[in-house]
Amino acid sequence: MAIRVEIPGPLREQAGGNTEVAVTGATVGAALADLVRQHPALEPKLFQNGALRPYINVFVNDEDIRYLDEMDTKVTDGVIVALIPAVAGG
Amino acid sequence: MTDPNPLERYSRQMRFPGLGKAGQEKLLASRVTLCGCGALGTVLANTLVRAGVGFVRVIDRDFVEPSNLQRQVLFDEADVANNLPKAEAAAVKLRQINSSVRVEPVVADINRTNIEEFCRDADLILDGSDNFEIRYLINDVAIKHGKPWVYGGAVGAEGMTMTVIPGETPCLRCVFEAAPAPGETGTCETAGVLAPVVSIVASYQATEAIKLLSGNKAAVNRELLMLNVWENTTRRVKVAPLAGRKGKCPCCAVRNFEWLDGAHGTQTTTLCGRNAVQVSHRAAGTLDFGYLAGVLRQTGTVSYNKFLLKFSLVENGDPFEFTVFPDGRAIIKGTSEPDRARTLYAKYVGH
Repeated sequence: MAIRVEIPGPLREQAGGNTEVAVTGATVGAALADLVRQHPALEPKLFQNGALRPYINVFVNDEDIRYLDEMDTKVTDGVIVALIPAVAGG
Repeated sequence: MTDPNPLERYSRQMRFPGLGKAGQEKLLASRVTLCGCGALGTVLANTLVRAGVGFVRVIDRDFVEPSNLQRQVLFDEADVANNLPKAEAAAVKLRQINSSVRVEPVVADINRTNIEEFCRDADLILDGSDNFEIRYLINDVAIKHGKPWVYGGAVGAEGMTMTVIPGETPCLRCVFEAAPAPGETGTCETAGVLAPVVSIVASYQATEAIKLLSGNKAAVNRELLMLNVWENTTRRVKVAPLAGRKGKCPCCAVRNFEWLDGAHGTQTTTLCGRNAVQVSHRAAGTLDFGYLAGVLRQTGTVSYNKFLLKFSLVENGDPFEFTVFPDGRAIIKGTSEPDRARTLYAKYVGH
């Protein structure tokens, strides 16, 4: 089992069309580093100057990492990491 | 003719214990400002006017187009043929639906100079818009004047909604610190949209409005709700602990209303004699032309180099040519009207 990163609609193209990517890592930061290692086209979509883009939120099992330990939030196998960008249209 | 029993039409919702007669009376006495009357906005206006919200101000800068009819439930082919502004076309329908509601159509581009006036006398602000510039403006106004508002967004098969009660819940900036840069996120024009997801999101927003206006604040949804009608997923994430973001949220904690003060957002300049308008975007960062070109190719002709991106399309028979610069600035040829240019920018470059 691995950590599962859920890829939102607008980022799927950069993730090889996957809705979910299995990654490894002990923290959210490490898990996302593994994600962009597997799908390098995601890097500029997710990060700017090394920091997560401010309109993309990261949730670990439905908890926002900004009130956990941000990128140092611990993750273990089976955990779901969801990338959630703001939805624009309407 | 005076109706001998004006509450009869609301009998079914009054029978719902959460609302009752007392809740209905509060709805009848309440005032809403609806920012945007497109897909979300028409569903919102339809629901609130039928529910008997006493006063609804409907603001939209756009005209009804054939491509709206798939999802914008208050409009029909005659509105397109008559080239009616959305706010006016909506008002006609809404008055036919419920003549006892006061509907105030406003054909205007919502911006930092007029939004406070549009919202000052409202009990609640509703987001029926299609772009983040308006949403962050609404957020600023709502926090500044202590009024609740309900965010809704939909694109493709995905939607999202969140209710903001100043002083109680996180605000939009607590949850989404900054707007996506132009070209960074899909719009309904570039990524498409299914009507049902818009109806669902707007129906959630309308429910929140009914709760707030009828005095049922305890029933309000305090999570960020997301759904995808194609992949059959619904998710709620806890955002309550983000409120004020440890005292650093620029909007609700620091009370620095950057969008209202003009530090962000678009500005337009009409280029005289050229039938063109320049739309500039503050704090846009650097655009990814490769990505934007890929998205725009579905709607028109695109070419780009390191310095600029050219995009031409025909909309309702009118040809437009965009010249987009890496800093997010665009010159839109084919119109001399700032509102039209702003609309085109929001649709295709996005925000």
